[in-house]
Amino acid sequence: MISIKGLRVTYHGERRSVEALRGVSLDVRQGEVVSVVGESGSGKSTLLFALLRLLPYGTSVSGQVFLDDKDVLELSDEEFRKLRWCKIALVPQGSMNALTPVMTIGSQIAEPMEVHLDLDKIEAKRIAASLLEEVELPVHFSSRYPHQLSGGQRQRAAIAMALACNPNYLLADEPTTALDVIVQAEIVKLLLRLVRERNMGLLLVTHDLPLASGLSDRIAVMHDGAIVEEGESLELIESPRHRHTKALVTALKKLEVES
Amino acid sequence: MRLLHRWSLWALALGAIIAAIGPYFFKTSPEEAVAPPFVKPVWLAKDAPPSLHLTITEGHLERRFLWEYEPPLRFSLKGAMRFEVPPEVAQIVWQTPKGTMVLYDASKKAESRIDLDARDVSFKLALGLSPFQNPMPHLFPATGEYALRLESSEPPAEISLALQVPGSRWGLLGTDQRGRDVFHLFILGIRVSLLVGLSATFIATALGLAFGLSSGYFGGVIDAVIMRAVDVLLSVPTLPIMIVLAGLWGKGLFNLILILSAFSWMSTARTVRSMTLSLREAPFVEGLRALGAPSSYILWRHLLPEALPLLLANIALGVPGAVLAEAGLSFLGLSDPRLVSWGRMLHEAHAFGAFTSGAWWLILPPGFGIAGLCLVFLDLGRHLEEILDPRLRRKAL
Amino acid sequence: MNAAQAKNLRVFFSKGKEVTWALRGIDFVLPLGGSLALIGESGSGKTTLLRALLGLVAPSEGEALLFDTNLSSAEAAKRRSVRRRCGYIAQDPYGSLPPTLSVEDAVAEVWQLVHGSTEEAKEKTTSLLEELNIEREMFKSSLRDGLSGGQRQRVAIARALVLEPELLLADEPTSMQDASTRWDVLEVLKRRIKRGMALLFVTHDLLLAKVITERGLVLFQGNPCEEGPSKAIIENPMHPYTEALASALPRLGKPLKAAVRRRGAPKKEGGCPFLPFCPKSFDKCVTSPPFEDISLGRKVACWHFL
Repeated sequence: MISIKGLRVTYHGERRSVEALRGVSLDVRQGEVVSVVGESGSGKSTLLFALLRLLPYGTSVSGQVFLDDKDVLELSDEEFRKLRWCKIALVPQGSMNALTPVMTIGSQIAEPMEVHLDLDKIEAKRIAASLLEEVELPVHFSSRYPHQLSGGQRQRAAIAMALACNPNYLLADEPTTALDVIVQAEIVKLLLRLVRERNMGLLLVTHDLPLASGLSDRIAVMHDGAIVEEGESLELIESPRHRHTKALVTALKKLEVES
Repeated sequence: MRLLHRWSLWALALGAIIAAIGPYFFKTSPEEAVAPPFVKPVWLAKDAPPSLHLTITEGHLERRFLWEYEPPLRFSLKGAMRFEVPPEVAQIVWQTPKGTMVLYDASKKAESRIDLDARDVSFKLALGLSPFQNPMPHLFPATGEYALRLESSEPPAEISLALQVPGSRWGLLGTDQRGRDVFHLFILGIRVSLLVGLSATFIATALGLAFGLSSGYFGGVIDAVIMRAVDVLLSVPTLPIMIVLAGLWGKGLFNLILILSAFSWMSTARTVRSMTLSLREAPFVEGLRALGAPSSYILWRHLLPEALPLLLANIALGVPGAVLAEAGLSFLGLSDPRLVSWGRMLHEAHAFGAFTSGAWWLILPPGFGIAGLCLVFLDLGRHLEEILDPRLRRKAL
Repeated sequence: MNAAQAKNLRVFFSKGKEVTWALRGIDFVLPLGGSLALIGESGSGKTTLLRALLGLVAPSEGEALLFDTNLSSAEAAKRRSVRRRCGYIAQDPYGSLPPTLSVEDAVAEVWQLVHGSTEEAKEKTTSLLEELNIEREMFKSSLRDGLSGGQRQRVAIARALVLEPELLLADEPTSMQDASTRWDVLEVLKRRIKRGMALLFVTHDLLLAKVITERGLVLFQGNPCEEGPSKAIIENPMHPYTEALASALPRLGKPLKAAVRRRGAPKKEGGCPFLPFCPKSFDKCVTSPPFEDISLGRKVACWHFL
């Protein structure tokens, strides 16, 4: 289980410091889908990067992040490196942030295995091919380059890359933004299927509350660096308690009713 | 502003202030010889004799001094005196530890003008020396007390006599082959180097901006012509051409700046052109044109401001090039001889034997000056590049 | 006169031997003061359609008219005068805003280019920016950086609306807005529609189309699929593609329904363009269905209804 307790993150710029996370606590269990819903600037992307220790050098981080009983923030860089990708992996926002344009899809999916699991090239390539099948991409895409794939296909490839070392937890940063609506739905279904089949914990960050409600077990609403409300999806939608959640739900319901 | 923390900005400010007001602190004109040639700076030749200036006036008809050095290199006595009534006896006497001698006899003359220099043959003959002999050891035979005085039967109505014995050391940087104060020349050199460097670069940048914008925005024939010109100018070896042009058009300062500019606008033009090309296709430009905005408006209000940050860094980085080119041309003797520039100083040092006589104080200061100025601008330019190039900038909070 | 019209509009792009069809025979009429949504995903041709109307792309066949004028063939003065009656919001608010100006200068510039006066320009700019909920402190911010995508989009909207156009061509104008600001933008548009502005609204979001437009035209890979009142299209979709779009849209509290599976079957020349992806295809679909009226105000290109 991922257990975040009182996480605080402050960015230090040249002129001023910004507190991006102000004491966030959240749990994600294996086999569970938790969505963090927030508008731009709420700190939701910061949360993901803090979990993976990918924040810029010099950022102050305090609090605890337990990954199966080990406080990830206390580990040395070397020790955490072993966990990254193998226990917890990231599907970044925008597939071109995960895929480099100069390598084939197949070798990119194989790379984490070679680096983190010490597999040899042939074995890694073989597993990469099976991963491509798992994300519903044709196996011959292995030799293609990212620019030859559509946006939705690239997103699937990025997911395959994240799954390379069989992580227990998957973090997804706005996995469906910039994708067509129908492709979005397909990616969501894919993620749900993977969560079920692999018993992974999925922490998904998005600004799209309807999307989150259709796919998560629990939703945490973030506003201005803090979680203002958290609960079971349908309950949160039906009876929101915090005024921010209420405003959000009302605005969205207007769209569906108004004509 | 981080710019204020940069040493080069303060160095440049200091240099500009010195260049502007420094020369006014010197009492003599820079062309004037203040000491014998190739004289060492004071801090280098502590045992060499300093300059000596004595004035005989009505109240002081005698001057005494102590001389503890080797004989100096020069001796000159200039002035005038007038008597109410022609005196019986009027002599200017020079007293040495080994005896006295008469330098000038003005007896029976009401008014006399005196202009004696130890190098004059008549002076040497008057002292009883051969025309080719060095008179200095005769005038300064030993260390000890010396005096210069007027011995006359009556006191004169007016007298003003100046004795100049230039020493073998002078000033902060000694003298050059004409006896001019090198430090004074050095300060003047900052002016010329800054002036030439900055103006040549400004003109080159303005040319590059104009050509780059036109080329990128209008395209077609204009672009083709300008770009071919750029190609030709870039492939031509600049120094030989500049030498030829300087020889043809004369060596004035203005011509020099023009020549330097003509060969430095190309890279700016290219950079501005590529920026213009990409912006030209931007949707907002399309929108403005559709609304009826004329090209001049788009160039002036949108493309030009976008190009300016690029230029600032280009200017700072272009100045060292101009300074070095000017120094190079001056060193080869292709600049105005009346113009004091560091390159010119190096040229004269080379041409007039400073290298062989070991007068390193003539060579190192201008050399370091050129290098220092270039470093200042390179540092400034690099810093400006960092600030202004969005790719190099880190995300600022 | 109509605000916008397309007559059998076909556009293709060729790169050497490769030919890509962007639009294959689009017809529609947008009357003055009316509102029409162009609904489709990427590759549907909706952006090309807007560009053809604006005269930025020449039609390969057929016509694309704004105020009864073909902008790609009109002379400069006519083009200018028609263009000034329109506002255009491009899909990308990054390239469509001048980086050298501040927020208020960028909006005022549009007014000044056409009308000249600067006092009026400032007034109009201020009131419009306030209406779009851009804080006063941001007025002098440079458009180069510091503004979020949502803010930039609202500045682009202000630029399009400052001339009080008779027709607004908007390409996904709320794509970067948060849930709260999206409504503000929609309200701004609605107010102007009430005052008689015509709206051509390009989107992939059927819900947005329903909220703000009277009629909608669904496009798939350059082909028209369905046309009708926006409300009817989303609540009662007929064409299988419209159905897929409607069911794929995330709805509050509802789990996602079955999405269309890309079968990837080879495209048959002359067949229905949706055939490779259609879960309801049958033998008649090997011939391309015509786009025809089937009932009052509704048109479909599907053999199930013809």
